[in-house]
Amino acid sequence: MSTEDNSAFLEVVNIKTHFETPRGVVRAVDDVSFSLTRGRSLGIVGESGSGKTILVRSIMGLLPKRGTLREGAVMYRGENLINKTPAEMRGTWGREMAMIFQDPMTSLNPLMKVGKQIAEPLMSHLGMEKATAWATAEKLLHDVHIAEAQRRLSQYPHELSGGMRQRVMIAIALACGPSILFADEPTTALDVTVQAQILELINEQRRQRNMSLLLVTHDLGVVAGNTDEIAVMYGGKLVEKAPTKTLFAEMKMPYTHALLESIPKLNHAAHTRLATISGRPPDLVHPPKGCRFAPRCHFARDRCHSEEPPLTAGKSPDHVYACFYPVGSAEYSERKVEISRS
Amino acid sequence: MRYLSQRLLQFSIVFFIVTFGVMVLMRLGLNAPGDPARTMLGGTVSQEMIDQISKQYHLNSNLIVQYWYWLKGIVWSQDFGYSVQQNISVATYMRPKILVTFFLGIYALTWGLIIAVPIAVYQAYKRDSNFDKAGNFFSFFFISVPALVFSPFIIYVFVMKLGWFPRIGEKIYPWDNFGEHFRNFFLPVVVLSLPTAAVFVRLLRADMIATLQSDFITLARAKGVSPQRTLWSHALRNSLFSVLTSVGVQIGSLVGGALVVEQYFNMKGMGFLLISTILSKDLFVVQSLSAILVASVVFANLGIDLLYTVIDPRIRHARALV
Repeated sequence: MSTEDNSAFLEVVNIKTHFETPRGVVRAVDDVSFSLTRGRSLGIVGESGSGKTILVRSIMGLLPKRGTLREGAVMYRGENLINKTPAEMRGTWGREMAMIFQDPMTSLNPLMKVGKQIAEPLMSHLGMEKATAWATAEKLLHDVHIAEAQRRLSQYPHELSGGMRQRVMIAIALACGPSILFADEPTTALDVTVQAQILELINEQRRQRNMSLLLVTHDLGVVAGNTDEIAVMYGGKLVEKAPTKTLFAEMKMPYTHALLESIPKLNHAAHTRLATISGRPPDLVHPPKGCRFAPRCHFARDRCHSEEPPLTAGKSPDHVYACFYPVGSAEYSERKVEISRS
Repeated sequence: MRYLSQRLLQFSIVFFIVTFGVMVLMRLGLNAPGDPARTMLGGTVSQEMIDQISKQYHLNSNLIVQYWYWLKGIVWSQDFGYSVQQNISVATYMRPKILVTFFLGIYALTWGLIIAVPIAVYQAYKRDSNFDKAGNFFSFFFISVPALVFSPFIIYVFVMKLGWFPRIGEKIYPWDNFGEHFRNFFLPVVVLSLPTAAVFVRLLRADMIATLQSDFITLARAKGVSPQRTLWSHALRNSLFSVLTSVGVQIGSLVGGALVVEQYFNMKGMGFLLISTILSKDLFVVQSLSAILVASVVFANLGIDLLYTVIDPRIRHARALV
């Protein structure tokens, strides 16, 4: 971690991303703020439909213009990116901010050689000649631990395994030496055995290149060992954020707790019923009036259904959560006893 | 190579069914000995003449034998038979007509693609813009307006009112006089290529819109690849398949569809020849024309099939395995 550059160099302030649809306005991301310092990593966790992918694409400005409303500010190195046109963003994409997508099966161009796909940003951003770009591409494949890099360059994506394709995608992301890496569910589409390797690779490269990492996932287990901080999203809102250790030790939001509970544990007896969160993610066209999680929350009271809980600071530094009756509060414990009785 | 032999077998079967079918159909009701010869000769002719023609072309043998001699003639000696009515060989009779249709078809397809690709790509890129809306309107328009209406309109404006183009003169080949050739073919090609382009535009626009929503396009943008490059080198190539397929389909229908245009512009092409020889029962000409039609459609589609493998490495590799 660099000490000389410790200022928050990515600062997301009250970002909103709404989509106009025939059903109405979808508030996919609603008033989310956080900051990221150089070299640090932040995990964003949430269910499908919690807005985490949209958040990332919104920060990068990769969403289609049509029907998309973006508000707030994305401060990157003191510059607000939110109102930049795609043409103005081109120098940032790939060069400053790079992205790893979820599904390596569909995210690489099936008709283009791997080498060309890696060389492309090198040639357009760094003005490399074709030969230099391909040589650099080979080196990058080497960096992401692909054997026989030379041969792989002239292969097409369908000739590679899923894990290898994801490595290629990481190589593409790393190509121009970005300072922030956005990884959108980078391991979701992969075999479990490959998942750990890919996460390790991402972290290794992050450390070596002093990049910041924004790791989006639905799996609390994935971020647990891999990011410095964790932000939990629900229904387009940030509901809890804390340094990883703090979060696991002092989680306040019943939703975070429920997420953790829904991970099967090794020490569970065989055939233990898997804990699930009943109900569905909220309809983001007509979100619940109060806390968005309230309709599914066992600990919700009247206040939760009418009033939106603001982000409150926890005891430990950098811990914030949005809940009136957080884990550990008197009301929470009271309800817990009631539930266990019934 | 198994792939190629499979395709050749397919071709042979289709070729046989169509040409033999045409032969059978053309001879319905001509069962008595001498009937085919009499029909081909037309009018009143002497019995010796009939006997001689019948014997020369094995017209009194059964159909399989006749078919065999006809096929053997084509394969061994490029002899398509003889048009007794025109008193020339079928090959000589067909050649200029086939060339006219060939040029019409090639130009119509080429111009169809040249017009369609940029329009469709830009329409998909600027979806729902005024340009897109205009493109949709015009492509629907040209798909809907039949050549039957379009041709006389164009002739009226450009030949009769403006006098920019001649009305007649199909017999000019590009190697004789390119300027004349161009002037002769321009209007018919316009009439044929605009609806063709309209079909391509609709197909390509739809495919492009789907491709532009793929993850790999977002990745290309996230890499910082320029929109032009994203569009032309990432999206277009992935969107060409429907258009290519329809080129194959269009080749068949262009030959048929050219008929109306041939009539209006007084160009004697294959459509014209086919109709007139069917009516006059010039058996060998009909049969050989169908053979050439089948062969060109099948081979064009084979060529397109091979193009898929050029464009898509997945198809290439899958085929290399079988």
